[in-house]
Amino acid sequence: MTDPGTIIAGLLTLAIFSFLYRDNPIYKMAESLLIGVSIGYTLVIVWSSTLMDLLFKPFFCNEQYGLALPFILGLLMFGRFLPRTSSFSRIPIAVMIGSGAGVAIPVMLEARTLKQISATVTPLITESGFPDLSAIVVIVGVLTTLSYFYFSREHKGSLGISAKVGTYFLMIFFGATFGYTVMSRMSTFIGRMEFLLTEFLHLTG
Amino acid sequence: MRKIETRHWTFLGLFVCIGLVMLINVTVDHPVSAQTQKMYDFIDSLPSGSVLIVSFDHEASSLPEIRPIALAILRHAFSRGHRLIGVALLSEGTAIGYRLMRKTAAEYGRKYGRDYVYLGFKPQYIAAILSMGESIPRTFPQDYLGRSYENLELLNGVRNYDDVAAVISITDGSLTTHWMEYGSARYGIRILSGMTAAMVTTFDPYVDSGQMYCLVAGLRGAAEYERLINYKGGGTRGMLAQTTAHLYVILLVVLGNVIYFKSRRKRTTR
Repeated sequence: MTDPGTIIAGLLTLAIFSFLYRDNPIYKMAESLLIGVSIGYTLVIVWSSTLMDLLFKPFFCNEQYGLALPFILGLLMFGRFLPRTSSFSRIPIAVMIGSGAGVAIPVMLEARTLKQISATVTPLITESGFPDLSAIVVIVGVLTTLSYFYFSREHKGSLGISAKVGTYFLMIFFGATFGYTVMSRMSTFIGRMEFLLTEFLHLTG
Repeated sequence: MRKIETRHWTFLGLFVCIGLVMLINVTVDHPVSAQTQKMYDFIDSLPSGSVLIVSFDHEASSLPEIRPIALAILRHAFSRGHRLIGVALLSEGTAIGYRLMRKTAAEYGRKYGRDYVYLGFKPQYIAAILSMGESIPRTFPQDYLGRSYENLELLNGVRNYDDVAAVISITDGSLTTHWMEYGSARYGIRILSGMTAAMVTTFDPYVDSGQMYCLVAGLRGAAEYERLINYKGGGTRGMLAQTTAHLYVILLVVLGNVIYFKSRRKRTTR
């Protein structure tokens, strides 16, 4: 026998699919339920694993009174709701941006810039003396795409040709990304169809 | 009653195609990509009992695509006798991760606390990744079920990433980037990932640069992995449907272009 959870999940899946015909109250109900449950679940998880585990329990049970400082900073964030106290919220925002940038900048520079540059600039000739087509495509793609985003000079002459080639690389990238996204959405749809046909309707094993 | 429009026929066509193909329940043969093979080889080559962190960094909405990938990887890891530590950096993935680990562990008779533990969700993912690099017990003083770190046999010898073979991030977004930027770049932990197909073009450059060890993507990746572990799961079952769906989309693209060029020619001849 199908359990109640599966029946509810199946009916809600069909309710969401009904949007493909047109917007309707059943779809709206399922959509609101999804948002409500997601937010409710997140609140419970954040309450138990953040406020309780990281603040209240250590503060009251383990006498870690230093936690009062982040708690006060957190409370100051709510100052934004009133015009008179909104300036107080700048203090925790400053702390977050300052510490966040301090942690992120060196790491970002290393991971997103330096390592990517070093992976781009590889030998164009293989050890056996043949040109490495993959490396050539990568370097040409990077340079021409960068030239497309160089706006300080009009895209004419050699810069124009380079920028034009860059747009082709961009189009290939967008095409590949779109293709993967279609594949991803189809996978999601197939996943739900499998659930409907096997667990909900028991039409296939 | 609203008029049936072209898009309704398009959707109906997709429903019928996929529904029929799934009812036939035929599996298609497909080659295994180098990335999936690399993931399999890595997990397979680790000595039995190695500790892996599996991070469920996804939302519930991507579960139909993520689930087969996660299950295939977990099954392989459990079958090889590895010990798994589950965490979640997105709150929505918390309960899902626990359920998936419990389900696969039960299939291989693995015991909670000894063979696997689930530490649950930790807010502020960057802080969590950095903090785990310093000390996992300090980051997670207790597990998802409220048991303290000291009472979990698996965790007795695990202090930080030095005691972990790799992190497998199951993701539908950019959270794996943070594992690479903070976990890998700073602490040198190896990052592997199972992800939705939509994220492949984002992460491919990181695989090429060696910042990410390998990735398994989408339903196809799941099917490939299932083939390697000789298990017929959701990925394998969905491959024929996915092929059919892609052929259907290609057919629509061709049809749309034919109609467009025909109507344009008609306009110019007038």
